[in-house]
Amino acid sequence: MIAEMVRLRLMGPRERIGDVLDVLQDVGVFHPAHVRSTRVDALAGGAGRDRRARQLQRLLADLDFVLERLPGENDHDTGRDEEPAPRVEVARLADWAKLARRTRRELTRLAAERAELAEERGVLERYRAYQEGFSRLLPREPDPDRIRILPLVLEAGRSQDRLRDGLDALLGEDYELRTEPLEGGEVAAVLLMPAGRSARVDELLGEAGVRELPAPPGLETRSLEEAVPAIYERLVVLDERERKLESRRQALADARTGELTTARAAVRDRLAELAALGRVATTHRAFVLEGWVPEEFEAGLDRRLRKSFGGLIVVEHVARETWDEEAEETPVVLHNPRLLRPFEAITRMLPLPQYGSIDPTPFVAVFFPAFFGLILGDVGYGFALALLALVLHVRSRDGTLLRSVSEIAGACAAASIVFGFLYGEAFGDLGRRLVGLRPLVFDREEALVPFLALAVAIGFVHIVLGLVLGMIAAVRHRQTREAAGRGISALMVVLVAVALLTAVKILPGGFFTPAVIALLIAFPLLIVAEGLLAPLELLSTLGNVLSYARIMALGTASVMMAVVANRMVGATGSVLVGVVFALLFHTVNFALGLFGPTVHGLRLHYVEFFGKFYSPGGASYRPLRHWEPATDEPGEPMSPPDAPAA
Amino acid sequence: MEVFWLGLSAALAVAIPALATAWAQSRIGAAAAAALAEKPELGTTVVLMIAIPETMVILGFVVALMILLGGG
Repeated sequence: MIAEMVRLRLMGPRERIGDVLDVLQDVGVFHPAHVRSTRVDALAGGAGRDRRARQLQRLLADLDFVLERLPGENDHDTGRDEEPAPRVEVARLADWAKLARRTRRELTRLAAERAELAEERGVLERYRAYQEGFSRLLPREPDPDRIRILPLVLEAGRSQDRLRDGLDALLGEDYELRTEPLEGGEVAAVLLMPAGRSARVDELLGEAGVRELPAPPGLETRSLEEAVPAIYERLVVLDERERKLESRRQALADARTGELTTARAAVRDRLAELAALGRVATTHRAFVLEGWVPEEFEAGLDRRLRKSFGGLIVVEHVARETWDEEAEETPVVLHNPRLLRPFEAITRMLPLPQYGSIDPTPFVAVFFPAFFGLILGDVGYGFALALLALVLHVRSRDGTLLRSVSEIAGACAAASIVFGFLYGEAFGDLGRRLVGLRPLVFDREEALVPFLALAVAIGFVHIVLGLVLGMIAAVRHRQTREAAGRGISALMVVLVAVALLTAVKILPGGFFTPAVIALLIAFPLLIVAEGLLAPLELLSTLGNVLSYARIMALGTASVMMAVVANRMVGATGSVLVGVVFALLFHTVNFALGLFGPTVHGLRLHYVEFFGKFYSPGGASYRPLRHWEPATDEPGEPMSPPDAPAA
Repeated sequence: MEVFWLGLSAALAVAIPALATAWAQSRIGAAAAAALAEKPELGTTVVLMIAIPETMVILGFVVALMILLGGG
């Protein structure tokens, strides 16, 4: 449900506004709003506030930069259980700014050195591969006075043959060409020839486009035999330098991470305070601050302000009549029982509901797992999903989206297991074959029409529920005509269902005429309530009911694929191959069985169900509080915090 | 012969909506990819929008079943 909010007005001496904001930040439940009174002069802070905010933003940018690059876990800033970050004093701010800038410069220098070393290493590694290939081709005892040794790199293919032909023509048999393939398709070649014949050979090589082995920078004057050990030595030196750079980076982290982390949390708190200061209105002597607080925390906040300031700060209620019409501005807090809370993640995928409208979370918590179970409906797949949910639960932290997903998956797994027993399915028909599992309601392989009827009936209930909720929401907002329209639409859908059931003789024939008469009476009333397009809307609603037939279609496809997977075992000649294929098929079916029901379940909720009553456009609840890593996401509304300390 | 026409009707009842769905989803998918490149936070909305045209093929499947079951 959506928590009740109250709008408060705080007033006090102008010079105490800073202290009041500090206390509000400690308590962490007050969502600042624009002051509506016309009797105040100006917003507090002005140009000075903007300048300070810019300075703090620059400092925050430096802090984020260095903390992202320092090794170690930097994302666990001051958390809920630790002491809040210290208030930012000007002197400390200056020290932090210097520390952040100095650290940034050092990290930038270290990064540049690492990049240079990495580039040199890349070059040397490339040459090492070449040089190792060549060193195996060299003669054991070279005689440089008589024999010239030319290391060459040839392209794969016919270039070798062309080179040999050219050398044969030029040198006859007075040469030796040794080759070895290299990685990447090239060929290492060493040409041994008489020392005095090299000029014409150079010409030949130039014409043939054959290149000599390039030497790495700094080793151009070394011979081939000396180059490889030199490369290895240089690589060892590079390793040592990289280790030193890393230990310097680690030393920086050890020395400064704590202070920088504290600084970042404190700067973020101060920025939040400055943003709240922008909402404060002032007169010559006093300040006025208005904002929202969840009703359950109002008394605690009042006590805390009295304890901190005596009677100096006045807290008064802003009359509900003055803000009740502005539902878009009132922040929304989704506050549901623990069992339903994970399903808020599904509601939050859409824009928040407006304040005063209906929170669909409890209905999603019932229907989404039910739809999932109806579609997947398999004991074996259900247990596999339960295992997956358990793994996600263990690997996630409390309050994160992944934890919510694991709990939703657990509910869906339970529903799948229940419906699996009702359908008598465990990995398709494997349960029936192995342990004699029998359907308790119907067999999905055969009872296609009953399954279709069940799916449409569920759709009918869901849509009528949506229309009724729409009617209730309209009544709450005193929108009489819209409430009447929704109510009449719901009634007409029911009457259409009664007429159809009577036509197919499920209900006694006596219901048909009254249903049709009631429809004829309701029809003009619907047009009066909702306008000339109402009949089209009604047809669209009836189409929405039929859309739930997808539950039957997807469920039937799922069970058929599982049956086919089981039949793979005997289909091939080998049992082992058949089992492998069957497992593969079941895995694919399981993956589809996770994706399909999820997407279609969400679609049925968001499009067919929510379309009947959901009013999006609610404002996020962003109270002035100490910064916490888990809540630093734009647009992410926060659940009510723990009750403020008395 | 009647069995042939029943089968053909059922196949067409699924195939034509499937083609229409595929065409619709290809257009939506291409637009979605462009939107996601600029606004990754639209991921959930985009997945749901891609799923919307599937109603056509699901209803076609239902009609095919009704044809087959009605034809015995």
